[in-house]
Amino acid sequence: MCSAHVGSPDAWFEGNAGPYHITVQVVAPGVVPGVATVYARVDGAGVEQVTVQANRFDALAGAPPPETAIPVRNDPGMYSVPLWIMAGGSNSVVVSVRGSLGEGKVVIPVVVVANRRLELNPKLGVGLAVVGVFLLVGLVTIIGAAVRESVLPPGEVPDAARRWKARAAMAASAAVLALALFGGSRWWNSEDAQFNSSIYKPLTSRATIEAAGGQPVLDLRISDSSWVMRNDSMWLGNHHSSHWTPLILDHGKLIHVFMIREPDLLVFAHLHPTTTDSVDFRSSLPPLPAGRYRVYGDIVHESGFNETLTSTVELRDAITNPARATDADDASLISTAAPNGKRATLEDGSIMTLIEGEGRFVEGREASLRFSVVGADGKPLALEPYIGMAGHAVVTRDDGAVFVHLHPAGTFSMASQMAITMRQPGDSVSGRLGQRISASEAMLPPAQLRSDGVVGFPYAFPKPGNYRMWVQVKHAGHVLTGAFVFTVEAARR
Amino acid sequence: MLASTCIVVGLIWDVSWHRTVGRDTFWTLAHVLEQLAAVIAGLTCGYLVLKTTFAGTTEEKAGSVRFWGYFYGPLGAWVCIWGTLMMITSAPFDNWWHNAYGLDVKIISPPHMILAWGMIGIQIGAMLMTLSAQNRAGEEDQKLYSMMHAYAAGIVITMIGTVIQEDASVGNQMHGSKFYAITAWVIPLFLVGLSRASRLRWPATTITAIYSAITIAMSWILQLFEATPKLAPIYNPVTHMIPPAFPLLIIVPAIAVDLLMRRFGRGNDWRLSAAIGVTWVVVMVAVHWFWADFLLSPYSRNFFFGADQWSYTDQLGPWRYRFWHLDVDANGKWSPFLFAKGIGFAMLLGIVSSRLSLFVGSGMAKVRR
Repeated sequence: MCSAHVGSPDAWFEGNAGPYHITVQVVAPGVVPGVATVYARVDGAGVEQVTVQANRFDALAGAPPPETAIPVRNDPGMYSVPLWIMAGGSNSVVVSVRGSLGEGKVVIPVVVVANRRLELNPKLGVGLAVVGVFLLVGLVTIIGAAVRESVLPPGEVPDAARRWKARAAMAASAAVLALALFGGSRWWNSEDAQFNSSIYKPLTSRATIEAAGGQPVLDLRISDSSWVMRNDSMWLGNHHSSHWTPLILDHGKLIHVFMIREPDLLVFAHLHPTTTDSVDFRSSLPPLPAGRYRVYGDIVHESGFNETLTSTVELRDAITNPARATDADDASLISTAAPNGKRATLEDGSIMTLIEGEGRFVEGREASLRFSVVGADGKPLALEPYIGMAGHAVVTRDDGAVFVHLHPAGTFSMASQMAITMRQPGDSVSGRLGQRISASEAMLPPAQLRSDGVVGFPYAFPKPGNYRMWVQVKHAGHVLTGAFVFTVEAARR
Repeated sequence: MLASTCIVVGLIWDVSWHRTVGRDTFWTLAHVLEQLAAVIAGLTCGYLVLKTTFAGTTEEKAGSVRFWGYFYGPLGAWVCIWGTLMMITSAPFDNWWHNAYGLDVKIISPPHMILAWGMIGIQIGAMLMTLSAQNRAGEEDQKLYSMMHAYAAGIVITMIGTVIQEDASVGNQMHGSKFYAITAWVIPLFLVGLSRASRLRWPATTITAIYSAITIAMSWILQLFEATPKLAPIYNPVTHMIPPAFPLLIIVPAIAVDLLMRRFGRGNDWRLSAAIGVTWVVVMVAVHWFWADFLLSPYSRNFFFGADQWSYTDQLGPWRYRFWHLDVDANGKWSPFLFAKGIGFAMLLGIVSSRLSLFVGSGMAKVRR
């Protein structure tokens, strides 16, 4: 299960379920169908019951009864429950809390895909092999005994001819079993290959730098034929290809593109290209030094399925005289020295500081990623909503094995959540729901100003290693980006 | 006997559970019933073997087969023990399989095949014990042991029917040659040999009658229980346990099998196999072609026939009343030629499976230990 980021399969939510403040982690099953584990932490007292329910995005016919989460021992306020997820793709997980303050619930969009191949652990493998050999030998022995003695009247001793016949039967049955075993292993391999081909991969894409009107622009093209040919049902049928739902706007943007220069990770840009065909996405470039960049594109489908396109691009010449930004929310940061894990000085002189939690980060354990922003005058900075949120963050491991775009509400995009909560039976017509989401987003009241200057992101680092994190907030109409470096320890197993 | 009944009831129940409720654990009643059966079979046979080996009289030992030069026990007990071990082995393998490749997507997977062979092993073991009793018994006891054997054989056929249900159970499948190929391959493979080993006058007919009775009973009983799905997505809000499909009418070709076996007698097994293989498929087509039309008609959509009941995961549509897996050409049109080709292939499979089955069955007919 994941919000289809890169190497970060678990889904996180932080926010309010009615009167209760909760933090939810949905641990990925890794296979479909599979069992996810849901952890929900409810702040405050008086909680009577926490229930969790999963459903596929388009299953409007009915939902199964919710599962009751069990309090986790030695961890007050924490509840957990295993959750069966049967359908791949976009699903919803509804967490409901009942208690002295009444009832409340939240809808968390989760994308369920097969994302890992499990190796047979050596102990189990050896155990099965030993028992398997024993069973095969046993069967051959039984067949031998059957031919040799079972048809004789009680007491009679088998003669030499019968004994030879038994040996022949044993040899023949051993040969047949060997053949069956060979067939079985071929079968296993083909099932394994079939599973491997079903492991989720994002749509293929290619980023290039093109010249448009004398200015270089970034061109990110979804090259995957299942997407390019998505409206040609004949082609899809002939290629047994999946049927994609169209893209929908996430806070007014069809795509969020992030550029990160490698290998130093000192340059970061957050862009919002435009498109006319949902295939070719183009954006002007901010001032950027030359180099090789990782390019990530976050998109959301009308089903609620969101995914990250990945590509790289070589920027031969530095951009020194940039064209007008394609989108007013585009922002970038060029660091001159490696950031640290405690504080970052922002463009306007204000300071962004990590609010110390446990003081260290461990793989798979909830990380305290809260930041306070103080102006040059020492007072908390009032944070304006930036693309509908108090802040945006990007986390990546230095080798690119992990990439995730976080919000204060969690790992998912708001558009995915709306795609689930606003869905109606008539929305089987492609594009109808997307239009309604766009219309209702325009009507939404703007997110509130955060006057305490604090922004936090619920998350757990999925793997040990060295991570880079960029935190983006907005003040006085300017987007400010702070960069941090974290080392994540391996969990003790 | 008890163990084998538990297994087949547990199995059909389990399949129904998966189609109706969905979520399960190792501890659902249906699973417990299956495991209990394995334990009963394994323990009783294990006890029998140990008793014969260490405390058995000379007579008891004389009536057993020797294993690895030291252990003594009836052949059926050895097969039962082997079946139990297979069933037990499949459990951790199946568990790993679910974690690696996803929860039961298909009935037919390698760990499930190990489990199925374990279950079949236990039943064959039980049958061998009844057979050796039948073959040693005097006139008056023989009838009882023969009926016990037919019961055990009926359970084996019911198991086979359950294993092949994804391809051969509902009316929608009965106009495609695939249905006839599968049934011609697996059913005579067991039925013919089991009939050869029996001393009843109408063995194949009796065995298939028992299969039909068990399947109908399970269908009627399961439909009485209310149940609702516990997993999403629910596309078909069912309210009671989904029954197994109405039994295949294999009792009709089974009558033909009995007549042919009587006519040919013993010693003509190649010709007998050819006759059974061809007749089986001809009778199957003659019966099921029209039976399929009935099963897709409104007259079968009731408690008695239990047709048109689908899993909670099925998105109901016009496919319910259409034929599937038809033999169509490149233009999507039904081709009599392709169908005839498929039927010819089914006959070939029927001949091979009958011959193999007669070979093993003739051996079983002589089992005395």
